[in-house]
Amino acid sequence: MVRAALASRRIGHGPVRFAEFIPAATVIAASLLAALPIVSSTGWYPDLGYLAFIGWRLLRSDPWPAWWAAPLGLVNDLFTGYPIGFSVALWSVTMLALDLIDRRTMWRDYWIEWVLAAVFLALDEWLQWSLAAAVGANVPIMMQLPSLVIAILVFPLAAWIVARIDRWRLGR
Amino acid sequence: MATARPGWSRRAQYGLFFGLLAVIAGIVVGLVLLAMSLVAPKTFESIRGAALDITGPVSSALHEVNATANGLVGGAGNYWDAARQNADLKRENKAMLQRMVEAKAIVLENRQLKATLQLRERSENVIAVGRVVGSSFNSPRRFAILSVGSKDGVQIGMPVRSPDGLVGRVIDAGMLASRVLLVSDRANIVPARLLRGGIPVIAQGRGDGTIDVRPLEVGRNPFKRGDIIITSGTGGLYPPLVPIARVVKLDDDGAVALPLADPANTSFAIIEPAFEPAAVAAEEAPSPDSP
Repeated sequence: MVRAALASRRIGHGPVRFAEFIPAATVIAASLLAALPIVSSTGWYPDLGYLAFIGWRLLRSDPWPAWWAAPLGLVNDLFTGYPIGFSVALWSVTMLALDLIDRRTMWRDYWIEWVLAAVFLALDEWLQWSLAAAVGANVPIMMQLPSLVIAILVFPLAAWIVARIDRWRLGR
Repeated sequence: MATARPGWSRRAQYGLFFGLLAVIAGIVVGLVLLAMSLVAPKTFESIRGAALDITGPVSSALHEVNATANGLVGGAGNYWDAARQNADLKRENKAMLQRMVEAKAIVLENRQLKATLQLRERSENVIAVGRVVGSSFNSPRRFAILSVGSKDGVQIGMPVRSPDGLVGRVIDAGMLASRVLLVSDRANIVPARLLRGGIPVIAQGRGDGTIDVRPLEVGRNPFKRGDIIITSGTGGLYPPLVPIARVVKLDDDGAVALPLADPANTSFAIIEPAFEPAAVAAEEAPSPDSP
């Protein structure tokens, strides 16, 4: 034990203050990126709040108490202009589904995490598409495809950023 | 929370179980909220407006920074390129003079045509002038954020146009910012007509920045590439004679058009009073196109 403590070159480095709130804060920050002055006529940008959300949840099983998914989703709905309740329900379902998946999977690696993320991102895009259709904006589903591909390709970057923030948060 | 038994501790087991219940409650609350915002979109009007007020000014400020940076870079480039630009401008000027004579003739002709058509000249009353500072960049819907809100007199349902053409109409209004349903949104249907010939058509967004135009009467496809579509004023939501789009591609029974007011390059957006307020009131009651 003594040797382990001495081996660490940075003595006195522990978790930063409010470490347990940092994951939720980064998700809110990602949702707030909707305020960027991006004027897109195609809508191919990824759902940044959701990317950060599943990035954290795939990295750790307990980034926040599970019920925080609902208020975090509400924040995302408000800032991105989705129908209110969409992210609340989707993000809570994601927490529940990933917990069930965690019970089933024997091991995890980067590829499985990427596939899981792709499945949830596809679910997100499909639900957005069907909700838009429900309120009279039934665009062809193929139009969501570029957006989905971009989101899946951006996920590793989001996961990397989340992992860096996690290391900083825990003082490692 | 739904992981395997954490051990023999009753407290830990109950903690997990209540966590599970809380998530299920979250899902139920989310679905109820979603159903409410689909069935009665006006329920969340004020809270959506408040959220817009938080992000709107940030978007405006960032937009300002962006525009300044672009301006500086562009300005430096122009200075560098001055001699060639000067020659170009002289050539353009000569061409413009010729065009001007043509244009004068067209204006005269236009005046006569208008007189014969008895077109009522709309009084240009402007509620507010704002800028497009953001958009829904990750959804199948096409919304834009404007830098003016109810403080400037903007109300839900007001048409928005730019010097180039129709932009859309206001669907959420905060104090400081508002959200606009663009003409390229799938749920935005604009009664329009062809500038050439005045054939009544329907313009509906395609969700990808372009617009579908269809003639009201079934028959021969009346469109030609380059045709300009203007609003007809039917229905009363949009004022008449505002240019909407230019036809770029024909398909079997209609055409695909590109909006003349590109929200990404629109410098100013002008909010006008609703053309016929009664129509707005009627439209708002069971509005299906508000999120």
